Amino acid sequence: MDKDKFILNIIHRPELVPEYAEKITGQGKEEDISREALLTESLDIFKLQQEIAHKNGLKTTIQMTYASLFNEEAVALAKEHHLTYQDEIALSLLGLPCKEFRDKYHTKDFCIWMFSFEDKKSIVNDVFGKFYECFGFYPESTGSYFMDADLINYIKETYPTVKCAVATCWEEGPKAYHTCNNSWYTLMDGGPWNPWIPSKLNSHAPAANEQEDSGIVAIPHLSRDLLACYDGNGSNFGTHPQNVLRGMIYKDDQFPYFFNLVDQYRSLKKYNHGYAYNMMFVGPGWMNKMGRWEAPYELLVKSYEDGMAYYGELKKSGQLDDMTMAEFSDYYREIKTYTEPECALWKDILYGSQKQLFWYCDPFMRACINMDQGGAIVDLRPYAAKLYWPVGIGTKHVQDASYPFLIQEKYRAGYFTHYAGEGTIRSAKLRYKGEEVDLCLCRTKATFTEEGLQRILTLKPVEIEFHGLTVSLQTIFRFEEGSSAIAIERHILSMSDPNASVELDEYMVACYGTTEYPEDMMGITLSCKGQDKEEIIPYEYKCREADVSKGQEAKAELPVIQTSVSLCTDSADTAYIREGYAFSPMFTLGLTKTLKEKEVFASWLKLEKAD
Amino acid sequence: MAQAGKGRLNYRCPSCFMRDLDIDMFYDKEKKEYYCLRCQYTGTEEDVLKKNEMARFRYRRILDRITDFDNE
Repeated sequence: MDKDKFILNIIHRPELVPEYAEKITGQGKEEDISREALLTESLDIFKLQQEIAHKNGLKTTIQMTYASLFNEEAVALAKEHHLTYQDEIALSLLGLPCKEFRDKYHTKDFCIWMFSFEDKKSIVNDVFGKFYECFGFYPESTGSYFMDADLINYIKETYPTVKCAVATCWEEGPKAYHTCNNSWYTLMDGGPWNPWIPSKLNSHAPAANEQEDSGIVAIPHLSRDLLACYDGNGSNFGTHPQNVLRGMIYKDDQFPYFFNLVDQYRSLKKYNHGYAYNMMFVGPGWMNKMGRWEAPYELLVKSYEDGMAYYGELKKSGQLDDMTMAEFSDYYREIKTYTEPECALWKDILYGSQKQLFWYCDPFMRACINMDQGGAIVDLRPYAAKLYWPVGIGTKHVQDASYPFLIQEKYRAGYFTHYAGEGTIRSAKLRYKGEEVDLCLCRTKATFTEEGLQRILTLKPVEIEFHGLTVSLQTIFRFEEGSSAIAIERHILSMSDPNASVELDEYMVACYGTTEYPEDMMGITLSCKGQDKEEIIPYEYKCREADVSKGQEAKAELPVIQTSVSLCTDSADTAYIREGYAFSPMFTLGLTKTLKEKEVFASWLKLEKAD
Repeated sequence: MAQAGKGRLNYRCPSCFMRDLDIDMFYDKEKKEYYCLRCQYTGTEEDVLKKNEMARFRYRRILDRITDFDNE
């Protein structure tokens, strides 16, 4: 199987009542989602999108919406385009709103994952039943902005033809909520940025084996900028030309950023055995005749045409393979094993900062390493727990579908805090004669290599200057496939005084949550273990500390997210734990070691499911 | 004074945009100005366009076509 491919999924949906259009085009009018003008314009936009794709020699996946299944023209178009262009006829769970839906469900809810589980099943049955009535078969692909595990499991069990689904939108969470004036409830941080096989228990977390396999291949909604979306509003920085316009990332109708983004995604094949992926899925509301924010209709259409033309050129020159979702699902299962990670060494292509991030995702974790902070881990999601997290009405999480973090430097600070307390980060400090330097302040770059089952991130050495001593230190990360651990090595390459010794403090400040706001830390248990002794602190916000000599492990158990996280080694001087306090609701795990020139300290960050 | 409406294009508040907030502005025909419901920004179309240009300051590579992705 040829793995050296850049795959593109293009998806169009005849929405008929686009999410944004009624609010925008209907300004100053009473709400009427069955307005003839709205329906006609929506279908026209779908036709235009299809025409642009086909003109560039690209096939699409047509995701029929519930509303479109009541429209004979939309159904006929899908059949015709399937025959003429080999487009896949699929079924979206977006675009539910229409007169028929509202008459039956008496609600304006439109996000499938937020309904009660009973309603989810009923809606799925309605939508899939109507699809069968129109086409005489059940779809192979489906999707929404987010699909929770229970929903995926129900669909797979009831409609086993389904093998691919749009199941998340990368880092669309509190940041998107804020950007939309706290009125857009797509809270789904913490998932993979590229396709994955979702586990049966939590759809964000990739399945580790056949038993966990939900039976579908999930794809993200859009291919998003792994630096810009992590910091800013995700809806500006993806393979969605009008999102780029929304971000005002254009001048004189030119937006090279879009093409840079596609090309950076293409370049990710270096880290994933030749495989690279892109997804474009623009809802019709983004091309309505009224324009979208500052962008007039003409620019909206131009941006779509330019974007699609670039994909078309890549295809013509043999650098891109367009696939339907169902085709992609088959391909993905042929080239990927369950434990094979997705890796991305990503650089800033917009702000000119030269920052570099490394993203890693496998069935046990999603982690982000920031080279601009000396290789600190700035985001960590413990997928090892495969946390069952039902969402929707009637659950504890009506809207919050995010996978909880242990570390999230934007929501719970990182290295920098205001005057007091600590922020979440996994870094190290060096100490020498009363001075202390954190590697977070040592900006560097990294290279990626592979050895057997290890993905290795090697950081360029950094210089640490104390009064009277300069230390050259190099950090190496090793991700062993299937290990649920990150090995971190600190190499003391040289010291200006070869006889000096420094103290290395490997530490991790963490907490848990899905938003900026603190959660209750009671119930967490901290422990540190040495060769001869163990100390335990049940978290009570009492600012306590404990340490043991000949340290082997510093650990936190978080029953509320069924997660255990530890720093382990076989050679530390001490292992320590620190409880936080109300103004700093964090915990710290640490290992210290005295090192001399040419010595190396290795430790492991391990994640496990805690029952 | 008559109610406000939408202007020629659906401008967002440039001041809010710079703090990652997308807020539609409304247009006051009498004063010939856009105004933000959330913050205190008001301005003519010309001023909005000028401030939108200012908001782009952070995109230092906005016009660069980048093709080298060797992260060395």
